[in-house]
Amino acid sequence: MHRELILTEEPIDERAWVASRAGGVTHGAVVTFSGVVRGSEHGQPIAGLEYTAFEAMARHQFGLLLDRVAARWPVESVRLVHRMGPVSAGDVSLWVEVLAPHRAEAFAACQMLIDEMKRVVPIWKRVMERGNGGSAGRSNQSEP
Amino acid sequence: MNLCIRVHFWSFYREMTGTALAEVEVPEGATVSDVVSAVHERWPALAPLRASTLVAVGVDYAEGGQPVRAGDEVSLFPPVQGG
Repeated sequence: MHRELILTEEPIDERAWVASRAGGVTHGAVVTFSGVVRGSEHGQPIAGLEYTAFEAMARHQFGLLLDRVAARWPVESVRLVHRMGPVSAGDVSLWVEVLAPHRAEAFAACQMLIDEMKRVVPIWKRVMERGNGGSAGRSNQSEP
Repeated sequence: MNLCIRVHFWSFYREMTGTALAEVEVPEGATVSDVVSAVHERWPALAPLRASTLVAVGVDYAEGGQPVRAGDEVSLFPPVQGG
């Protein structure tokens, strides 16, 4: 299974990622997911979210998740891009692409990856409040 | 003989402890749980968060009963929130 994991402080260019999709005639399903930063948390407007990570462990845990995907489904490729640092509301913070022979395994693998990422991959986000120049707020209790 | 274990703090635990890295001493034969207890002795504010605190040795999650050895790097952090 081809795998790519990018943790980046640069904006995620979804069009460029889609354009760089692997060619081939064996995958009948391409599932992509874009996670977008909402403009509010707990009903309050926010400027965005700031992401931090324990990067070495995050990469290791993503690797373990991808091992589980490869063992469970005939997935051909997974590409996952996660933003780090400040991300404005409305911007993409996560982009995932799964290529598989059929849609069932592509959807299932994508869902599992994201669900498990939120459980085991050491990435955190904190709210950037509006009106203070986008500096990080104290709250770490952002919504899932 | 005591072991000196390096402890890394992540996310808002860094603000609560005022540091990203510390060293704690535990007796030889100590476990991950003993390291966490030593951390809580020094930073009591973290103690109420014990039930939700995640602990890793190196880049793998660790159970409380896992023995620690000289040179282990232990990390403490709150529940993860990627995505």
